[in-house]
Amino acid sequence: MSILHLLVYASALLFVIMIVVRGMRIARTPVHLRWELYPVPHEKGRADHGGSRLEQIDWWTHPIEKDHLGELKVMVPEILFLKAVKEHNPKLWFATFALHFGLYMLIGVMAVAMLGGLLQGLGVITVAAGNESAIGIIAKVFQYIFQLGCILGAVGAILMLYKRIFDSGMRLYATPSHFFNLFLMGAISISGTFWVGSDPNFATNFAGIYSALFTVSPMPELSAQALNHIGIVLLFVVYLPFTHMTHFFTKYFTYHQVRWEDSNVVGKMGDQLAAQLDQKVSWGAPHINGGGKKNWVDIATSSGKEEKN
Amino acid sequence: MAIKTKKRVTMKDFSTPSESLAEFDPEETIDLPAPYDKIEELPGYKQMKEGTRDRLEASLDDTIAVGIPKPESKEEEEKLVEAFLRGLHNLFSKENNWTFLQPLTLSMEHCARCQTCVDDCPIYEASGKEEIYRPTFRAEVLRRLYYKYEKGGNKLFKKFQQGDIDANWTMISRLLELSYRCTLCRRCAQSCPIGVDNGLITHELRKIFSMEMGLAPKELHEKGTVQQLEVGSSTGMNKVAVMDNVEFIDEDMTDRSGIKVETKWDVEGADVLLIHNAGEFLAWPENPGCFALLLDAAGISWTLSSDLVGYDGVNYGLFYDDAQLARVAMKHLDIAKKLKVKKIVMGECGHEHKALGVIADRIFSGSIPRESAMTLMEDIVFNSNLEFDPERNDFPVTLHDPCNMARSMGIVEPQRRVLRKLAPQFREMTPHGVRNYCCGGGSGFAIMSGNNFTDWRVQVSGRKKFKQILDAFSDVDPGPETKKYVCAPCSNCKGQIRDLFEYYGATEKSGLYYGGLVELIVNSMKLLKEPFIDWEMM
Repeated sequence: MSILHLLVYASALLFVIMIVVRGMRIARTPVHLRWELYPVPHEKGRADHGGSRLEQIDWWTHPIEKDHLGELKVMVPEILFLKAVKEHNPKLWFATFALHFGLYMLIGVMAVAMLGGLLQGLGVITVAAGNESAIGIIAKVFQYIFQLGCILGAVGAILMLYKRIFDSGMRLYATPSHFFNLFLMGAISISGTFWVGSDPNFATNFAGIYSALFTVSPMPELSAQALNHIGIVLLFVVYLPFTHMTHFFTKYFTYHQVRWEDSNVVGKMGDQLAAQLDQKVSWGAPHINGGGKKNWVDIATSSGKEEKN
Repeated sequence: MAIKTKKRVTMKDFSTPSESLAEFDPEETIDLPAPYDKIEELPGYKQMKEGTRDRLEASLDDTIAVGIPKPESKEEEEKLVEAFLRGLHNLFSKENNWTFLQPLTLSMEHCARCQTCVDDCPIYEASGKEEIYRPTFRAEVLRRLYYKYEKGGNKLFKKFQQGDIDANWTMISRLLELSYRCTLCRRCAQSCPIGVDNGLITHELRKIFSMEMGLAPKELHEKGTVQQLEVGSSTGMNKVAVMDNVEFIDEDMTDRSGIKVETKWDVEGADVLLIHNAGEFLAWPENPGCFALLLDAAGISWTLSSDLVGYDGVNYGLFYDDAQLARVAMKHLDIAKKLKVKKIVMGECGHEHKALGVIADRIFSGSIPRESAMTLMEDIVFNSNLEFDPERNDFPVTLHDPCNMARSMGIVEPQRRVLRKLAPQFREMTPHGVRNYCCGGGSGFAIMSGNNFTDWRVQVSGRKKFKQILDAFSDVDPGPETKKYVCAPCSNCKGQIRDLFEYYGATEKSGLYYGGLVELIVNSMKLLKEPFIDWEMM
């Protein structure tokens, strides 16, 4: 096992652990009060005008019909094409779209290379770009996609850096990390361009890396360009879970557990809410004066007058 | 644009003492169409009284919403800063803020600072893009405070990731005022690709001040929820006063309509407990009067409650304080249970809708259902035996969507179906429905008028809505001869629209009038010999 093996295993493990920890932390926060924001796309037959089931007379007597396909119709263009930015911030759209889509392309190729590496490790296929086999053609296509993704990502990172520096509205709210993050994502794209442009066996090597990782066998011979790229990617992988860029998965919570979360009390939620109402309050304003002694029910059933005494 | 600054206000500026970070400049506001385009012909912007800045904390801009006295000593300032930081701690604790902790931390930790939301804010736009009114500005201040004082982790790494800020009294006193320069309309949240909600952040910020430090605008707290819980209504009306008022309204309605109107009180077992915003009884009595007439005519079993709080659907706690929100909501629920009604119907009041309809939903679990008056009215218009004559409403009508009803609850179509059927000249504003603009009086602003706050909200926060209203009638005779009706099914929105029309002289210059939805329905009822709406009385 090489140092590269260890670095990749450790980075991947750290990434997974941190993402799971972060996800669990969010998932375990208490049930909150309803705070949905319309349009809610799963409102069957009403989403187009932003309506809800509350538009019906005696709404509680009607069955709740959810259109989950409606959610996908919103999420897919949002994730892939950053639809909200295009509509509400068109001047920023191309830069951020290029950055994100470039990264999606790299991640997509990585996933295919991973699959290819696994199958190669299992002896099912041999990945070699350029030969006339189906695998060879697929490998070549994904090599081009990788190349295009790198160019798009680099262009996006540079344009975003330009915006962060020269758009006064954005500059005012930027912190050092915003520049560093863009620099890092730009470096991933540029180093990837160097690798794919200089390595005639790019696809073979890319899949070979995963094959070696899956089978704990020797890595293919990698160029300095390849090692540079891998090093930057690993740095990004261990850094990302500690940043706001985790929005790539926390978006699930902001949309599905807040913005579109319109359910009445269901399942265990009632018990959870009862337990939460039993918690002691320590807000200190005179009309509450919780002092860690009164619970939420005490507060809600008092007038606020007696708390001052 | 309205407010002019010499330079962009930075986080550092926000903590640095100075007289003011922004001042009003009418030359900089968004343009209004004629005849409101001549600044010199408008009443102008009333300045704060002399000496106000010496007495009160007013170094944010040139108005005051809360207006707390200046601390007398450095020690007092330090104590206030400590109290704020205690409140910040409570805000991010499960015990004290389970109500909104998840949405709040998600919004705190994942904003990309892309500024995609900013142009959707009518206050930011109408102010001429004044930096401190940018929806991300106050959120950024709270975010930096959160990372610096609450969130664990390496200090250097946090500074690198989130930037830095120092909590001092200058900054905190400005933040208190700044939390009342947003109407919590949540239009900005709709455009965020990540799902960050700057409206929620403002709401939570207000909670620190109220729930820990006891600081909130007196109109919302002392004269609002406190008075409501003690006397029965934020209007100050007790049971005797409200019943007296309603008796007068019934008599007046009977005279005007020729139909006997008699409001029902405390009818046990009624199908519907109707809860109005009590402001209607005083400011727009024809609204509850029309409801009484309509519900009786439709044969609905209904009642009002004369119990403490039961006759006032107002719940200003929604805007600034979870404890007050819960107290008022619990009163409403208890009264409905006591009367054994089948459902609560929320009158024409947007924030009552949101407080009772969705916010309290998880506390009211399995108890009395709440329904919007919009759906009940739609049902009556389309499914009852009543007959209507739309010709009686044959004047230009547009609809204002209360944010709490549309954006926060998805109640959009029922009121439109009614208007399409009963108002032949109904036209939409642009944009409308869930993408509407706030009236500028949201989150309690409509009842806040201390110092020169009314001037700020009619010239800055409500300016976009006023322009939108004018634009909606751009295809008809612009003069006062053609009466134009803005249907605003929400008491707070009506209060703000009233102030807008008064300030700009819109009734005299453009024939603009406003009212609710039920008035239009009653106006077209064939049961009445004459149309109900009397323009002279509006």
